[in-house]
Amino acid sequence: MEITLVQGLLLALVAFIGSLDQQMEVFLIFRPIIVCFFSGIVLGDVQLGLSSGAVAELAYLGLLTIGGTVPPNPLIAGIMTTVIAYTSGVSAEAALGLSLPFALLGQWIGMILSTLYSGLMKFADDICARGDVAALGRLIALAAFGKALVSAVVIFLSAYLIQEPITVLVSQFPEWLIHGFRVAGNLLPGVGLALLLKVMLKVDNVAYLFIGFIIATYVEMGNVLPIAIIAVCITFLSYINSKDRQAYDVGGVDDDGI
Amino acid sequence: MMTVSRNKLTKKDITNMSLLSAVLQLGFNYERMQAMGFCFTMAPYFKKIYGDNTEEVAAAMTNNIDFINTEMHMATFLNGLILSLEEAGEDRELIRNIKNGLFGPLAGLGDAIFWFTLLPISAAIAVSLNKQGSILGPIVYMVIHFFGAISRVPLGHLGYNLGTNAIDLIRDNATAITKAAGVLGVMVVGALIPSYVNFSFPETFVIFDVVPVQGIFDTILPNMLPLGFVLFLHYLIKNKNVNAVQLIFGIIVVSIILSFFGIM
Repeated sequence: MEITLVQGLLLALVAFIGSLDQQMEVFLIFRPIIVCFFSGIVLGDVQLGLSSGAVAELAYLGLLTIGGTVPPNPLIAGIMTTVIAYTSGVSAEAALGLSLPFALLGQWIGMILSTLYSGLMKFADDICARGDVAALGRLIALAAFGKALVSAVVIFLSAYLIQEPITVLVSQFPEWLIHGFRVAGNLLPGVGLALLLKVMLKVDNVAYLFIGFIIATYVEMGNVLPIAIIAVCITFLSYINSKDRQAYDVGGVDDDGI
Repeated sequence: MMTVSRNKLTKKDITNMSLLSAVLQLGFNYERMQAMGFCFTMAPYFKKIYGDNTEEVAAAMTNNIDFINTEMHMATFLNGLILSLEEAGEDRELIRNIKNGLFGPLAGLGDAIFWFTLLPISAAIAVSLNKQGSILGPIVYMVIHFFGAISRVPLGHLGYNLGTNAIDLIRDNATAITKAAGVLGVMVVGALIPSYVNFSFPETFVIFDVVPVQGIFDTILPNMLPLGFVLFLHYLIKNKNVNAVQLIFGIIVVSIILSFFGIM
């Protein structure tokens, strides 16, 4: 289906607000599950927003901006997954794979802007030397709106202006190619999970990975909340244990006087 | 030397500062990362402490425009701590050293709690609601992270109230908390694998003409393919230094090839 000018502008607005939040990482409304939902509302297909949000959120789960690294842009990926599924009628899983070029474009633009913004530090130093609080606020606001505006323009161009070439291209894909993208969409959440494991998985907690896996495989449940609660209980026990052990290691001095 | 007069910050000031600290990453750049936002969070309160003494405000601001890169909730904690030291008239060199010594360990702690634990759990709950077609998914997600966002208020107060005691507290607890959060995160990831990684062969893919390949795997251990797949990706990332973009491209290419031959 076609995206109207008004819808294109509204999607740009979603991108603008999303980008401000993405820079701050405060409310996490820039995450795919939220921007897909709002994109779905803009396009008049809330169910599509929900299904594409579920797929894209998982694929981008471990792709976090930790330590200043920039991953493929989850905000752009989320909006474009919904947009591509809407305009070309493919499934959310297939649209996720097709949205990757846009997510990479977002990543590169983000890196370029963060490099250029290094030039702002000279002004920041001057402002600090003057003790001018308001001027520092203005500088930060300008920098933030600049990045947000770029995201909005990227989305407007990708979603509205070039929708036709994309739709035509996708409509000429043979069935096995579309199916291939769908298969990839089903597998991509594995990347997010593996990236999370890269940071978290240690020899002393690998057993918990299998406990979680086995429970989820054999026990039917609506969502993972029960497992999260079990995990919180185990975590609490292991926290107490490790504190005890620490106290023991430094000489067995115990606050409890035991 | 003239003694500098200092005003006291109120509880309300610290609450407002903690809310303002949301701007931490605005103006982010590769030269000094979060420096601008970190400095701007405290700047209005330096002004409150020193009043019309612009020289002192400028000195305090200049002391906090260095490179910093930490986790955002932990930055608020650090802001509270620095304000308490500044208010007490501690040596600026000391403040700087404390800041530079703490932002790294605090980043590890904050990442473990908010990004590797809270985020996957909230995503897992919200995605399962989404898949049932319920708009509760995004709503629950937003509510969880709204509380995550305002949790910086108590953290700001904690940093301010602890003052220099914070340093010991962090040293004593950082490892234990990070370790505990690791258990929680890893177990949830384990539970997410069977639900969200969809790796199975179609029934039409058979060997010896009659035996469906997927059936063999299901008999041994259901979902063993998604588990093996994630562990394999983890191996590639950890041991072969493959990055996320290469993996995503690789998966798409291999999926299309497998689809072409009708294997998946």
